[in-house]
Amino acid sequence: MSRLRTGRFALGVTVVAVPLLLALLGPVFAGGPGPRATSFTLGGGHWLGTDFVGRDVWRQVLHGGRPVVLTALAATALAYLVALPVGLVSALTRHRRLEDLLMRPLDVLLAVPSLLLILLAATVFEPDAVGLALLVALAQVPDAARLVRAAAAEAAARPAVEALRMQGETWWRIAVGYVGRSMLRTLAADAGTRLTGVLYLVATAAFLGVGVAPDAADWAVMVDRNRTGLFVQPWAVVVPAVLIVALTTGTNLLFDAALDKGGRRTGKEARP
Amino acid sequence: MNHEHTVAEIRDLRVRVDGRLIVDGVNLRVPPGRVTALIGASGSGKTTTGLALLGEYPAGAEVTGEVRVEGGGPVGYVPQHPAAALNPARRVSALLTDIARARVRHLPVRRRRLAARERVLEAMSEAQLPSAAELLRRYPHQLSGGQQQRVVLAQALLLGARVVVADEPTTGQDALTKSRIVEQLTAVRARGIAVVLLSHDLDVVRALADEVVVLRAGRVVESGPAQRLLLAPQHAWTRELLSVEPELPLAEAPTTEQPVLRIRALTARHRDGSRAATVVLRTPELDLFPGQSLAVVGRSGSGKTTLARCVAGLHRDHDGEVLLDGAPLPRSLRDRDRGQLAAVQYVFQDAHAAFDEHRPVVHQVARTAVRLRGTDEDTALREALTTLAGLGLPEELARRHPGRLSGGELQRAALARALLARPRVLVCDEITSGLDPVTRRGILDVLTGLVRGRDGLSLVLITHDLDTASLAHRIAVLDAGELVEQGPAPQILTTPAHPVTASLVARTRAGGTTA
Repeated sequence: MSRLRTGRFALGVTVVAVPLLLALLGPVFAGGPGPRATSFTLGGGHWLGTDFVGRDVWRQVLHGGRPVVLTALAATALAYLVALPVGLVSALTRHRRLEDLLMRPLDVLLAVPSLLLILLAATVFEPDAVGLALLVALAQVPDAARLVRAAAAEAAARPAVEALRMQGETWWRIAVGYVGRSMLRTLAADAGTRLTGVLYLVATAAFLGVGVAPDAADWAVMVDRNRTGLFVQPWAVVVPAVLIVALTTGTNLLFDAALDKGGRRTGKEARP
Repeated sequence: MNHEHTVAEIRDLRVRVDGRLIVDGVNLRVPPGRVTALIGASGSGKTTTGLALLGEYPAGAEVTGEVRVEGGGPVGYVPQHPAAALNPARRVSALLTDIARARVRHLPVRRRRLAARERVLEAMSEAQLPSAAELLRRYPHQLSGGQQQRVVLAQALLLGARVVVADEPTTGQDALTKSRIVEQLTAVRARGIAVVLLSHDLDVVRALADEVVVLRAGRVVESGPAQRLLLAPQHAWTRELLSVEPELPLAEAPTTEQPVLRIRALTARHRDGSRAATVVLRTPELDLFPGQSLAVVGRSGSGKTTLARCVAGLHRDHDGEVLLDGAPLPRSLRDRDRGQLAAVQYVFQDAHAAFDEHRPVVHQVARTAVRLRGTDEDTALREALTTLAGLGLPEELARRHPGRLSGGELQRAALARALLARPRVLVCDEITSGLDPVTRRGILDVLTGLVRGRDGLSLVLITHDLDTASLAHRIAVLDAGELVEQGPAPQILTTPAHPVTASLVARTRAGGTTA
């Protein structure tokens, strides 16, 4: 069983390492921009062909990781930074008013489609990459907070929490030490899918010209913009797409392997 | 070999999980139309053996040996918690008809519906579910625990199972429900179906079993016809398992002046989604004296747990007062200060759910001393280990995670966790109801020892079991949320004044003497 777990761990690390290394170290090895060639060609000194405006795809791939990965990771982290305390407080409080005060405004936000929210804000603020990360995070908060609250409410209703209160434990120890720990698996699963969602929200925003230039070296933008030439020159779409998939799948695999302690326990096993 | 007809047979079964043998060479023959009871302390391999008949094993188990069921037919299973086996989103009719439909495939299409319905009604009446038409429309959560169990049984009967495995069917049930379950399993047996009963409830085993198999640590120590085995056990372990619960009268109730805990005009409510509050408990007056133990008894749903939770500060929605040494206790735990928290401690019914599964038990136990008495971590850890050892939990076990301890061991740990606060009042909510007789006796010994040994520790024992209640100095009887009777234990047990008490006493007597 432990060999299986190590195997999954290694697989996760391998899968996630490729896009991460490319994103972090890519720009160092990319070199200067070469002369532009014809759009959507294969060969001709271009290892992965050329993209929709005739740039070298490999060079774009090397450059395009950092903004996507950083924006998406920052936005996801920011979203949880707000959602975790809000969700935990509203799940653990006994004052319904406080819960309403925290959750209802978020429900209103939830009713607005995230892209619309971002576009609306963009018309007022003209955000840069940091601004985009903030906006995407804002769009993710209501959803994430609801999930945290639901997962936490389940854990908070267990006798273990009452036992901790009986021991006079601090709020912090109960909320983070027990409730937080108990919902880690749910959160990890959610973080994996959320990262994917955020990646494509960033890409869509970029496609509409928010935060990122429409011809920027950015994996998500590359997928969007090079779609038109998919059947002529597939690499310009396939390579960045595969890298994004590898990033999200690898993250999920890593979380799973890290949280899986010595195999799953069934209810039957625990009983005599 | 085949001198007797069997519907299921296990030969030399060995189940090993993580290098530990859970079942070690068990042989079992299940004859039709008889009840075969597997008895033994928790952890003896009863459930693993029973589930083997279904072809189910714990995750990651290495299995050797042979399990044979006649005709490879389905084996019914009635789990300990039937609610978990029923899809909560579907009505009873759907749950049963789904199975019935598969059994009427051979019929022409237009007759199937009617045939399925007939089969469902037949199975329900065989499982002793009356007023079927009304029950069919309900969802599982609208049924009582006993009814849920019978629905699961009806499912097994619909499947055409020749063998039904019943896992602790009476655990946590009151005397009245228990006798219904016995009737219902008797009816199943009368149809020629073999019943494999996994139980540590000896009353039920005495009432039902034809064959008894005694397990200990995964091995069969003794087996034979129930009459012979229960009356004249050969093996020392069987004798220990069967020995009647010892009479453990507590020390004479100290006659003291001031009650430590007083309950005055308590009215507790439950609120559900509709905001309509239902009164679930009315207790005009109840006192607890230092050094005394008080048993609160009643059937399930009588409000005894609510009473305990009001005292412990876990149920806020109540009027009236709970006074500790004359000073009212805040309704909610969160408003109680350290001293008040330490003074009233609570031990939960489900020890597994009351521990954090991610931390070693001893560290969780030690936190009480750190938080409520302000000792430093090292002292607390040492104290925790001493207290745990005193309650029969050696350091090697105490350092494990809760998932690797048995129910009895964890309940001892839960007691230690409460005791480290040096409480004046200890509230125990059905803490022995899920345990086998040997373990239960061990826990009750610990409790009586505590009341005797500690100056002024008072005990509130919530229980549905009058045998357990008889260990207390005083007994209070609850019925449908009303406090119907209270008084010294001998008086309540010998001359019950209220009909509810009388029927509880009578049921217990009957249960204890059925052979």
